[in-house]
Amino acid sequence: MSSDFEAYEQDFGTLTAEITNKIGRIPKLGGEEKTQLVLNVDKQLEEVRELMEQMDLEVRELPIQSRGMYQSRLKSYKGEMDKLEKDFKRSRIAYSDEVRNELLGEDAGSSESQLIKLREERAHLLDNTEKLERSSRRLDAGYQIAVETEQVGQEILANLHTDREKIQRSRDRLRETDANLGKSSRILTGMLRRIIQNRVLVFVLGAIILITIILAIYFNRQKAFFWSTLRQCNEELD
Amino acid sequence: GNLTAKYILCALLHHAQTCIRNKGSSRKYEEACDIYVRAANMFKMAKNWSAAGNAFSQAAHLHLQMDNKLDGAINFLDAGNAFKKADPQEAVNCLNQAIEIYTDMGRFTIAAKHHISIAEIYESELLDVDKAICHYEQAADYYKGEESKSAANKCLLKVATYTAQLEQYQKAIDIYEQIGTYAMDSVLLKYGAKDHFFKAALCHFCVDMLNARLSVQRYEDMFPAFSDARECKLVKKLLDAYEEQDVDAFTDAVKDFDSISRLDQWNTTMLLRIKKQIQDDESDLR
Repeated sequence: MSSDFEAYEQDFGTLTAEITNKIGRIPKLGGEEKTQLVLNVDKQLEEVRELMEQMDLEVRELPIQSRGMYQSRLKSYKGEMDKLEKDFKRSRIAYSDEVRNELLGEDAGSSESQLIKLREERAHLLDNTEKLERSSRRLDAGYQIAVETEQVGQEILANLHTDREKIQRSRDRLRETDANLGKSSRILTGMLRRIIQNRVLVFVLGAIILITIILAIYFNRQKAFFWSTLRQCNEELD
Repeated sequence: GNLTAKYILCALLHHAQTCIRNKGSSRKYEEACDIYVRAANMFKMAKNWSAAGNAFSQAAHLHLQMDNKLDGAINFLDAGNAFKKADPQEAVNCLNQAIEIYTDMGRFTIAAKHHISIAEIYESELLDVDKAICHYEQAADYYKGEESKSAANKCLLKVATYTAQLEQYQKAIDIYEQIGTYAMDSVLLKYGAKDHFFKAALCHFCVDMLNARLSVQRYEDMFPAFSDARECKLVKKLLDAYEEQDVDAFTDAVKDFDSISRLDQWNTTMLLRIKKQIQDDESDLR
């Protein structure tokens, strides 16, 4: 008998769980589904009531000593069932937030949240405008700097052009100087050669003159000797 | 310090003069020259510029007497530099003498350089714009003779600036157009060409508006890059404003251009003249 009671308890547990689930779902649905679910829950509640009566009979058949525990359990189960019925009744007339949302459209709210949204959008737009102004100012400054840079570059190029001419001229002048130096160096070597030639010539001439003098003296001596021998011969002959 | 220096200087000068009076051999002349140069340097140290200039020119004259042309010219230059700070007119005289010697020797480049120095003195100290223009032109001619187009152009630009200020617009226009056409062909100078055409257009504008329009058209044909330049756009806007005799549009266009890159002194003067023309025409019509 107690095993029957336990079986009843289990059934009761499962049934109440299902009912609570369905009761939770009811407000979200509407129309056909809702009526169906309501009928469903009604049936299940009937089953629960029958279960309760059977459990009652069981408990009554028990001896008075062991009745107490089961009776208290039965009382709590009854309380639960009453609560379920109340919830069921309430759910049939409850409004859920989602129905309201469906009516007023997605992301709609009260007028207050609309105002907040408008204010946000305005701030966002002002931000954007400020960013645009800042970037256009920066662009202007950048353009100014670019123009200045171009002017500076142009001056530098003109200077380079002048310097180029100067350098070319100096290079030409240097080449001329180089050629002139070469010429003068050749002239100098020519002069040196001629000086050496002159000196050699002078020495050679000096040497010739010396030899001529010596020969002259020598021949004079020879001549004197010849004439003296001739005179001696003449005197001997006479 | 100072007193002893002055004493030494006087002694040196006296010595130099006695040397000359003796009129000895060239040896004496050389000594005298040396002494004069040393005296001049000491005057420079004492910052007595006119005395230094005098001493240098005496030395230069002695060099010329000795037929030492190059040394004479160098001393004249030193004298010119010294006089620059004291007596500009004297400086110009010395520089002129130096230039004569150089042109005699055929050294035109250096003569041109000194023409520029003289022109600068006339610009800044003696404030004689006509003479300055003369000297700049002379320098440009010498440079052209020596095939230094760039230096010649630099001088010619100065000539053009001053002649335009003196309202001799035709001359300025010729110079600017010439330099502009030369610049637009050169790799280095083509970024400055638009500036020259702009100045030429402004000068045309001061003379006659129709001329200006035709010339701008001509420049655009010659030099396509000119049409993109901000200067060209400014000139076109000014021409339109002039046709409609609208001073405000004129001022706005000029302000617009100035906000990006400042207009220099010459440009502002020219634009002001054109603006006055418009205002005068307006008041005439009234």
